[in-house]
Amino acid sequence: MDVLNVEYMLGLVPVLLRYLPLTLQLAGIGMVLALILACLFAVIRVLRIPVLNQLTIVFISFFRGTPLLVQLFLFYYGLPQLFSALTVIDGITATIMGLTMHFAAYMAESIRAAIVGVDRSQTEAALSIGMTNGQLMRRIVLPQATRVALPTLMNYFIDMIKATSLAFTLGVTELMGATQKEAAGSFLYFEAFIVAAIMYWIVVELLSKLQNYLETRLNKAYNR
Amino acid sequence: MKTRLIHALLAISLLTSTPLLAQDKPLRVGMSGQYFPFTFVEQDELKGFEVDIMNALGEEMGRDIQYETANFSGLFGMLQSGRIDTVANQITITDERKKAYVFSDPYVYDGAQVVTKKGNTDIRRVEDLKGKTVAVNLGSNFEALLVELPYADQITIKTYESNLERDTALGRVDAFVMDRVSASQIIKEKPLPLELAGPTFSQITNAYPFHDTEAGRALRDEVNKAMATLRDNGTLASISEKWFGTDITKP
Repeated sequence: MDVLNVEYMLGLVPVLLRYLPLTLQLAGIGMVLALILACLFAVIRVLRIPVLNQLTIVFISFFRGTPLLVQLFLFYYGLPQLFSALTVIDGITATIMGLTMHFAAYMAESIRAAIVGVDRSQTEAALSIGMTNGQLMRRIVLPQATRVALPTLMNYFIDMIKATSLAFTLGVTELMGATQKEAAGSFLYFEAFIVAAIMYWIVVELLSKLQNYLETRLNKAYNR
Repeated sequence: MKTRLIHALLAISLLTSTPLLAQDKPLRVGMSGQYFPFTFVEQDELKGFEVDIMNALGEEMGRDIQYETANFSGLFGMLQSGRIDTVANQITITDERKKAYVFSDPYVYDGAQVVTKKGNTDIRRVEDLKGKTVAVNLGSNFEALLVELPYADQITIKTYESNLERDTALGRVDAFVMDRVSASQIIKEKPLPLELAGPTFSQITNAYPFHDTEAGRALRDEVNKAMATLRDNGTLASISEKWFGTDITKP
């Protein structure tokens, strides 16, 4: 077995750190957009808005039913072939589009489940004291649904951060792409990829801490 | 008053001389950044023979070069969809590719080479690949070369995005096929137990593919002109000497 080239690993840390912001940016923007889209889908599904409900079902079915990599290739390589104007979709945009739609499809279902999961008696009680539908949603249902949905949503966010590593296949040099190039140049694969792995790991660990904090806060009302 | 007139004249000259304007647009060049020593990354810096040649061409043309790196198999997709103007990644001229693109003059003459793990005595030439598993880069011309062999049905071809050298050294495949120049250079400079297996088995010529459009052909002509100058003044030869210790830019 070859000896680990620790010096090379340490030298790689500042180089790879330069690409971490792009990775976080892809995941961050993707998550915000996916959340908005997912909430929209969830509301459409819960209220069973005609036409939109059917469209949403098809959308969710497609984006949950196909691999993210296939979707990214479709957006980036496929669409410009049909409509040459869509060449303006660059690698970063295509990645964000892919992450948004893919994860919105998953998150919509868990948000819907969280809303439906709020006990019916809560709704009845709210309506009995004269709350409007809007008040009912804002004050009673959504706060309780958020608490239920939070762990799974954070799970998806973590998954999304790692999924950004597919962006390199579209020519976006984020953390994984930079690592792959450094590894191919030095032929020191283990060293390069373990440095990248540890970086992803640290980011995800920090997020888990944030999740614990948020959960404790949201659970306050239940801890007596 | 005088300056205003000059400005007006300048504006008119700028508007009428569109070729000049086009000149200012950077040439968008795609490469994998994963093909040592032609295009590779070290400490975040894109380097290699391809980069040096392209920079020299850019300087000669008075045009900035904008590098786009992506996996090799994605490069032609990026070219096809108009995101880059050409690919500088040891692109071999083939009939198949000629149908879709126009090629510049060749700037590398090389051969296809079988490479095995050091100490492998089973494989000494391309005929010995019968019954073996052979790695090639996905979308590369070497895959096509293997498929064209009369005994191709007896070879198991495995395609890679990158890292095929490592897999050969690990013994996951029996051999890989690559151009002779990069293979020799990898063996010489990198810590992998590999060796060349016999002579090259097919002549390959590398050039830059451009879109088969008016703009693409104009770019190609511009590159050809700059390349001829660099060939005559010895720049091409000296870049090749720097990386390979030999001139691979001549037939």
